[in-house]
Amino acid sequence: MRVLPGNPVLLKFEKNTDPALLAQYTHALGLDKPLYVQYFDYLWGLLHGDLGLSMAGAFEPVGPQILSRFPATLELTSYSFIVAVIVGVLLGALGARKTGATDDSVKVFGILIYAFPVFFLGMILQLIFGVWFRILPVSGRLDPGVIPTYLSFGGHSLQTGILTLDSLLSGNLPEFVDAVRHLILPATALGLVISGIFVRMTRANMMETMRADFVTAARARGLKERTVVYSYALRNALLPIVTIMGLQFALLLSGAILTETEFSILGLGSYLVDRINFRDYTAVQGTVVFLALVISSVSLIVDILYAYLDPRVRL
Amino acid sequence: MTITQRTRVEPQSQLAKLMSPIFGKGYGRGLMLVGLCITIFLTVMSILAPFIAPHDPTTIGLGPPNSAPSAVFPLGTDQYGRDMLSRIIWGGRFILLVAVAAVAICLLIGLPIGLVSAYAGGNVDRTVALVMDSIYAFPSLVLAIMIISVFGVTIINEALAIAVVYIPSYFRVVRSQVLSIKEMPYVDAAKSAGAGTPSVLLRYIWPNVTASVVVVATVNFADSILTTAGLDFIGLGLPVTLPDWGIDLTYGRQALPLGVWWTIVFSGGMILLAALGFSLISEGYAERVNPKLR
Repeated sequence: MRVLPGNPVLLKFEKNTDPALLAQYTHALGLDKPLYVQYFDYLWGLLHGDLGLSMAGAFEPVGPQILSRFPATLELTSYSFIVAVIVGVLLGALGARKTGATDDSVKVFGILIYAFPVFFLGMILQLIFGVWFRILPVSGRLDPGVIPTYLSFGGHSLQTGILTLDSLLSGNLPEFVDAVRHLILPATALGLVISGIFVRMTRANMMETMRADFVTAARARGLKERTVVYSYALRNALLPIVTIMGLQFALLLSGAILTETEFSILGLGSYLVDRINFRDYTAVQGTVVFLALVISSVSLIVDILYAYLDPRVRL
Repeated sequence: MTITQRTRVEPQSQLAKLMSPIFGKGYGRGLMLVGLCITIFLTVMSILAPFIAPHDPTTIGLGPPNSAPSAVFPLGTDQYGRDMLSRIIWGGRFILLVAVAAVAICLLIGLPIGLVSAYAGGNVDRTVALVMDSIYAFPSLVLAIMIISVFGVTIINEALAIAVVYIPSYFRVVRSQVLSIKEMPYVDAAKSAGAGTPSVLLRYIWPNVTASVVVVATVNFADSILTTAGLDFIGLGLPVTLPDWGIDLTYGRQALPLGVWWTIVFSGGMILLAALGFSLISEGYAERVNPKLR
């Protein structure tokens, strides 16, 4: 990234600034050292959890900036994920159970929703619910004037940055309602787009499981079709879906970048887009490193979860 | 002894034989046909844009800004008073071109690596697979953003960035197929008959991989279109002066609070349609070649 033309120090100052001042800032950021030294300095800092100083604005450390932006992204992706799994699994199971028109509509829904650019879906939702009906807010995380509260007692405080959680913990119900209202549109947009994959996977897996012997056995014992489908077939069909959830998380983060930009949510995605435009190398690098860490932790969790759900893996 | 009676072969022209995987009866035909129609329509529209567009797509002030669809401007005008219909007709050229270029690069790089890596096996294969998997696990948009912000915003870099993101998909599919195919008896037979490595790879293994490559490539087309639109949206895409669906969608949203729906609905709808066309082809083709999906 640093091989790029364009000096971030020059970008900050006017053209006729004192060269000595420029040199001082260049030195403070370590930009006067050879590239390989910069690289090893960065790696050394990384090992100590130090992501370096931001190269734009007030040259603040990148780490705390990323951490302050992450809760918004985590909140958005979590709710989107819930929407995606609920819509995806229910529709997928429905498609596998029925044949004919219902199944075909589910199939078409899966293909169509996958082809939707997430920000386009967001715009349509904004247009319908924010501009035409004016029932839901279209940007930000809270209404202006609403001050986020968090749990505190006896001088200690717990601030997760996840607004829906913080407001509930501190018992601030109006804030909770406001945060949820702001989340509905972005989480629906992102969740629906991701749900396409869950619809397809659930449908395909269910159809295969429905042919399995234990399903036939359950039917032969005279169980209700509902019980057979939802308690027997779906449970087993969900196993492979847990595996793909880890991979979907990367997709979810890609979508979050676009959704955050569309809905002006100050999360990690909009931070990344912002910093790129400022040529803030350390911030961009830091965000990417952070995202890579998050993704590997998620896939580790998914692997552990999988071993827990499917005893065969532990053998 | 002479063979007196041969099985009668239905007369079939070369063309019909070539087209049978597309138009022949069977599962997935409907999906594929709809997808093909959409894709062909959009391609023809983009190629013929200079002849069918009623106005120049970049002329500012053709009509009043942000005017709703009317008889004069069937799809309305954008915030600079440009004719939306002409912009929609022109708007597919670059986004589709980027997709075609990206898929071509993927095919040129992803396929050979997958074939050779899987066939070679051993440490070579393990190393290449590790690199590819780490790219694959990364959020595609973040990776594309990184590449473009390093190399600069040009159409070629955009295609390159998208290609890098999707090469691992080709690699994985080709590799897994080759790994199972290379153990088949007929491959051993070919080898013992004296076929060299290139010949085994290209004449014996390759034909059995093509079906899955078609599926990946069509999905890749759809994804490339969506990624290009996404890059346009965050300002790392095509130059803003071009008539382009992604650009129109991005800048059209500024007028959204005024209730101007036509700029975003038509441009976004075209992106959706393009991605949908390729997804339908891929889905239909997958159903056709993979009986498990029926």
